Formats: sequence, structure tokens, C-alpha cells
Amino acid sequence: MTDTTAVKRIVVISSGLSTPSSTRQLADRLSADAASILRERGVEVEVQTFELRDLAHDITNNLLLGFAPPKLEAALEAVASADGLIAVSPIFTTSYAGLFKSFIDVIDTQALTDLPVLLGATGGTPRHSLAIDYAMRPLFTYLHAIPVTTGVYAATSDWGDGGDGVRSLPDRIFRGAKEFADLVERTDRANLVNDPFALDRPTGHLIGGLAGE
Amino acid sequence: MQFGIFTVSDITQDPTTGRTPTEAERIQATLTIAKHAEEVGLDVFALGEHHNPPFWSSSPTTTLAYIAGQTSTLQLTTSTTLITTNDPVKIAEDFAMLQHVSGGRVDIMLGRGNTGPVYPWFGKDIRQGLPLAQENYELLHRLWREDVVDWQGRFRTPLQGFTSTPRPLDGVPPFVWHGSIRTPEVAEQAASYGDGFFANHIFWPASHTQRMIALYRQRFEHHGHGTAAQAIVGLGGQVFMRKNSQDAVRDFRPYFDNAPVYGHGPSLEDFTQQTPLTVGSPQEVIDKTLGFRDYVGDYQRQLWLLDHAGLPMKTVLEQLDLLGEEVVPVLRREFAANRPAEVPDAPTHASLVAATYGGEAPRQATPNANRGDNLAGPSPYQDAQATAAAPAPVKTGSAFGPAATR
Repeated sequence: MTDTTAVKRIVVISSGLSTPSSTRQLADRLSADAASILRERGVEVEVQTFELRDLAHDITNNLLLGFAPPKLEAALEAVASADGLIAVSPIFTTSYAGLFKSFIDVIDTQALTDLPVLLGATGGTPRHSLAIDYAMRPLFTYLHAIPVTTGVYAATSDWGDGGDGVRSLPDRIFRGAKEFADLVERTDRANLVNDPFALDRPTGHLIGGLAGE
Repeated sequence: MQFGIFTVSDITQDPTTGRTPTEAERIQATLTIAKHAEEVGLDVFALGEHHNPPFWSSSPTTTLAYIAGQTSTLQLTTSTTLITTNDPVKIAEDFAMLQHVSGGRVDIMLGRGNTGPVYPWFGKDIRQGLPLAQENYELLHRLWREDVVDWQGRFRTPLQGFTSTPRPLDGVPPFVWHGSIRTPEVAEQAASYGDGFFANHIFWPASHTQRMIALYRQRFEHHGHGTAAQAIVGLGGQVFMRKNSQDAVRDFRPYFDNAPVYGHGPSLEDFTQQTPLTVGSPQEVIDKTLGFRDYVGDYQRQLWLLDHAGLPMKTVLEQLDLLGEEVVPVLRREFAANRPAEVPDAPTHASLVAATYGGEAPRQATPNANRGDNLAGPSPYQDAQATAAAPAPVKTGSAFGPAATR
């Protein structure tokens, strides 16, 4: 990719399990705001959204076998080559959904380096809102991604009149989206994406893999 | 082109009977399978290495030496020998020894292993897997080519004036394959030495193998060992056959569904679509195997995994019969057709001797009387320092390597 490529690619992963899903709804709001902020600045944007529910069997098979079936491979490639990632999970039993973590586990540990990330989470009660910061954020910092400081938590009540009247959900979505858009606009990450078959690539992650040799 | 089988030496419950064979039974069954491979006309038998249950093959050269004594043409190799955790000195000695007892019917496939705790069990650090593979092989390569080695590295105690005995048969080291599923650095290592590269090819999609082989071929040419088409490529494969497809699928499904690696994962149908596994009639196996050439080019060695996942010995012997009677003869003919003249066969001891010495008599190492060390004179051997790296005529005088530059 060269610097003539002005299109910024945002990938959205949503690990809600129901259909329709409030997790997907939050993911869509976040990506819509981020895309429109960038477009207002004259930046071309492509958004690609993956529902992890559709990839659940492939993700499990990847955990068992060590390789990604074609549909999952496409999602992993999209994430690895993105200019920004919006990652949204429901909070189950104090933390991100198991499906969400399983997806993170099959991503190459170097694939998210320098990747701007906007974190979102949903839950039945606002009392779990810190899960973004104590559970989700460390995953992405460990992978050397760059999660923006604002994470957006949507409790069920946020979708109606029981939400925070001072900082409403749309306010928080806009704030997170703006922080994210600022990083996506500046990133030159897509130029740096590594080819795993390039021999100058660091190799620690290749050792002790799942499948035998 | 060579055809053969490889085993990982797993001792797995037969899911159709609930019975798990004993170690003794599986070891004896494997010996029978290896001998039958020769009987049905296959060329190669490869044995894995593991250091934990439920696997039995901790000492491959012991097993292969016995098989060598029971066979006459079968080429013996490994799948793989752990270059990370074995002492390269012991590998050099064991495989030179195996060369001698087998009459040169031996090569070796090096790998890093897939069982994490093997590293600490043998005093190594898994995070150093690749550097270990590189340093250990560099030493192994020298031990087979230089009579006297002075060496110092990071991972092993230094050697001063060390001679690995016996010297390789006829002064020609075993041919080396480097095996890997997904590590480009191993393809590069194989290419830089001009060694063979073996792609496991059974658990991962064909597209992945294609990229690994393409990289290896390109780098083989880059390092000046010949054209990309002349690089030495081996592929794994996995088949289960019955005379007709439906019976094969029906009979193999319980073994697939409960297999240690992919069991309880994808369906048999998805897995056969996504990987080189073939479950069907001999004709389907022929068609799928011939298709491998479309994405890796003309290659030298095809090995199949037949005896895993609890399949009983009788079934494995039936599979060998089908391979020998119906599959391999057709594959030999078809792979030979349209094969460019520049594509070499897999190296054998005879071809390596011929390449090294031309028509001259190969080296026969004859030691001097024991002086108690290797440092005092130019060589511990009466004959010269001719090595595989330095073709005949035989030279006399100071050693190659460090001794020559002192």
C-alpha cells in the first residue's frame, strides 16, 4: 500500500450473542460516528463489521486445530490490516464474553501492534461499566494496540430514559468516536503491516505453536 | 519420486472398540507396518520423536536400526528429530551409526517439536527454539563434515578437538530435510544449506503449504544451490481408503471424530475440503495427490500418515496394500510424465556418493592409533581429510575448518 491510498479502513467486531443485539447496536453507533467525523474532515472511510457469532464455530476450530477456516481467515486479515478497530463485547460474569476472548486468542500476537482501538461494552446494569478498563483494556495494551482513553459502556437503561442524564450515551459515543477518529486519521499503520513470510519478521510468536511439526 | 509413510507413534484408544493398545503392542505393530511398507513397494518409512505418553517413540534410531535389519530397500528417516532439545553431537553420532548399520539407507528430518515441556525437560528454553535450531544444526553440519571440530556456542558446552564417530558412511553425511508447518525461518534455513524442505501439509490448508514451498524454492535459488525447480521438496499427506468412497467415509468417521488433533472440531467434510486429508476411493487419493503438484511444483517425496488415531494394525496394513497395489504405481507413472529433466530425484546415499566422488572410490575413514587426544597432530585418521564438502580426489595434510586456518 502506498501513501496515495487515502481510504481509511475501520473494522468492527461485535460479540453479542442475540439477534438483534444491543452490542451490535452500540458497535454500529460507534462506527457511524467515527466514520462521519472522518468524512467531515475529508477522509475516505470504509467500514467492515464482523459479528463474532457468525464465526463462533470457526473460532473454536481454530483453537483446536491451529489454523483459521476461510471465513475466519478473512476476518483476521481484515483486522490485521485495518487502520482502526472498534471492539465491542457484552459483559458476562464481570468480564468480556468468552467468544470475544477466543477471537482475540486466535489473532496473531503481532497483528494489532500500533492499531488504534475504540472499546465498547454492553451490560444489564451500569455497575459493570469498569469492566472496559479492568478487563478489555489490558488485552489490547498487551498486544501493543492503542485503545483510546474513552471506552463506551451501554447499560440497558442507557437505551431509554433511565440513562445518565448528564453525559448521555450519544455524548459518550461521540467522545470515544472522536478520540478514535483522531488516531485513525493519523495512523500510517496500514503501510507497516507485516507479511508473515517476510524473513525479517520477529519470530518469538512462531515458537511452540498449537499444531505439531 | 519417493513414496512412503510416517508415524507419530501415538498410542490412542480405538474409538470403535474402546480398547487402547499397550506400548508393547503398538511398538510391535509399528515394526510390522514398517516391514509391510517395503513389501508393498513403498520407498520410505519415517518415525517421529516424542518424550511423553501417549507416544512411544523416544529413541528413533534404535527403532530404525532394527527396521533396517529387517528390510533391504526401505529408506529410513524421522518425522521429526528434535534439533532443539537433542544434543547435536549425539544426533551426529546416532545417525552416522545408523548409516553404517543400514548400508546408507538413512536420512533425517529436523524439527523443533510441538510439546512445550520437552524444552525444560531437556534443560532448554522454549523461547530460544529458533536460535537453538540454528546453532545446533550449524554444529551438526560441521561434525559430519570435519574430522576435528573446535566449537563454541551459546547453548552447549564448547568442544575442543572433538571427533564425532563413526565418520559418516563413505564420508558422506545423511541427507537432511527440515520440517515445518508454518515457520518461514525453517524454510530459509533449509534453503541456505541447500537441504530438503518437508511441509507437514496435513493439518493446515494447502494455500499455506504453497506459500512455504514457494518461499523455500525462491531462497534455494537465491543461495545458489540450483534453480527453484531443483529444490528438494517433501510433502506429508493423510489418507483413508476403501474400495468405494462411502465405505471409506463411514469407516473413518469415528476415528476422525475422536482423533487427538482434530477430533471434536470441524466435521470430516469441512476438514477434507480445507486440508489435504483424503477419505475415499484409491482413485480419489490418486486425483488429490496428483493435485499437490499444481501448487508446489514437481517434488521428490510424498509421505502419508496412516496409523494414527487408534486405527488398528489390520486396517493400517490394508491401507498399505491399497497404496502399494492401486495408488503408488499410478502416481509413479503420472508424476514421471511431464516431469522436467532438470528436476532431481530425492537424494539417496548412492546419489550423494556419486555426486561427491564422481567415479573415485569414496573415503573409508581409518583411525590412527589412539593418541589420547585429537589436538596433537593434523588428524586422528590415517586417510585424509576428504569430506563431503570437498569432493575427491582425496587430500592430505591439515584439516579443513578451523584447523586449516590456524
